[in-house]
Amino acid sequence: MEYLLIEALQVSYRQNNQHTPALKDFSLSLPFGSIGVLIGPSGCGKSTLLSVLADLNRNYQGTVLINGRSPQECATTALILQEYGLLPWKTVGDNIRLGLQIRGCSKQEIAKKTEKILHRLGLSGLSKRYPAQLSGGQRQRVAIARSLVLEPELLLMDEPFSSLDALTREEMQVLLLQLWQETRLTILLITHNIEEAVFLGQKIFVMSACPGTIIKEYTNPLAGGYSTRGKMGFLELANSLRAGLRGLN
Amino acid sequence: MHAKDLIQKSTYILIATIILLASWHIFSLLLRTPALPVPLAALQSFARLLPDELMPHLTISFYRVALSLLIATVLGVPMGLYLGKNQKADEFSAPLIYMTYPIPKVVFLPIFLILLGIGNISKIVLITLVIFYLILVTTRDAARNLSKEYVLSVRSLRAGELELYRHVYFPACLPAILTSLRLGLGMAMSVLFLVETYATREGIGFFIMNSWSSLAYDKMFAGIIAMGLMGFLLYLLLDACEKVLCSWVHL
Repeated sequence: MEYLLIEALQVSYRQNNQHTPALKDFSLSLPFGSIGVLIGPSGCGKSTLLSVLADLNRNYQGTVLINGRSPQECATTALILQEYGLLPWKTVGDNIRLGLQIRGCSKQEIAKKTEKILHRLGLSGLSKRYPAQLSGGQRQRVAIARSLVLEPELLLMDEPFSSLDALTREEMQVLLLQLWQETRLTILLITHNIEEAVFLGQKIFVMSACPGTIIKEYTNPLAGGYSTRGKMGFLELANSLRAGLRGLN
Repeated sequence: MHAKDLIQKSTYILIATIILLASWHIFSLLLRTPALPVPLAALQSFARLLPDELMPHLTISFYRVALSLLIATVLGVPMGLYLGKNQKADEFSAPLIYMTYPIPKVVFLPIFLILLGIGNISKIVLITLVIFYLILVTTRDAARNLSKEYVLSVRSLRAGELELYRHVYFPACLPAILTSLRLGLGMAMSVLFLVETYATREGIGFFIMNSWSSLAYDKMFAGIIAMGLMGFLLYLLLDACEKVLCSWVHL
């Protein structure tokens, strides 16, 4: 069953009184509980797509259905941005609580859920710290915790690990896989990193330059295997992706 | 840690006081005019006058400045946040703000005196008007320059407009708001002096001018010391507010 269904999506933005198309004739489908990865050149409208899915941009034409509902009706989507979007004036705990607070949950419920997610992501001792006092990897964990505490069905991630060093990045990819296996979320992730795409994406979508549309789609049986990195098939798929992307630039 | 900070801060205040008094003393010895008495004489008359003569004037002046700051904040901050957040409203209001901002508001004193009488209200309205612009423009610019990341990430948590103001715009602009209050305090004190020299027999400004015209220079300087101390205490208060409310800035 397709959880996420996008058909003939078209989004434009206004620049100097001109309509510039960001996405054109964009179609994509993702089954329930799977990980999809979008990869493509800079400025190909990937972030525009996420803003439509997260109901931050209602100015689009075409069909966008999340579990059969429009983004506007669907309150079970969470978004993690590149710079995490953590509020520097709130502590780690308060950042994580924010979504529950906005939903009007009871105090006990908020405390219970926050405690649980802090523990799961290994942030228990850091609840009173401010984001500026954390390392990049820790900040990313907080951003993930803030989204997961809302128990979303669809998790959207915009280049979530791009500012991390190589090892922390791989750690976070493994953590994301574990969390995905525990919760069976549907995840749509944007990346610039080819290895990341192959490691995480059961479906990999290659996008063209502006206006963005999907030009190639891979089904990746290697995704989600913890020990696939560096194996022959992994490298072959990565190379094929690389060649496909190079043709775009 | 806290005790250490406090001791250090008090030491700096002490050193600043000594430098100020020493240069005052030297200056007064050099000038040799009754218009600038030595600090000791001024301090003596300050101590003598404070309980009976100065206190009522100080109280009324403090009331005028503090209330003006409060009203200007209550009006300026929400309006600044609103304009910084809504581009259309900002573009519409900007010419109006920039045309009226540079006009020295003090020139409206005669009008305020006619409209609002010679009591406290005309003075408070004038001081409020001066600081209001400062707070409005600073808050608006801070809200305008707020990183879109914060807004988007909180909106994606399904926050409404009010929640955006509460969790994002207001706390993000608070450091700028407190800076504008500190700047505003300095302006408020100078406007206070001016408005208290017209049509009133109350306030520290009147006390200073009255002492001057009766050539009682030691009294005049007692008034100046009182005014300086009042401003200093208000600054300390604002500093303390910043420490408590914006601890995240000082990490």
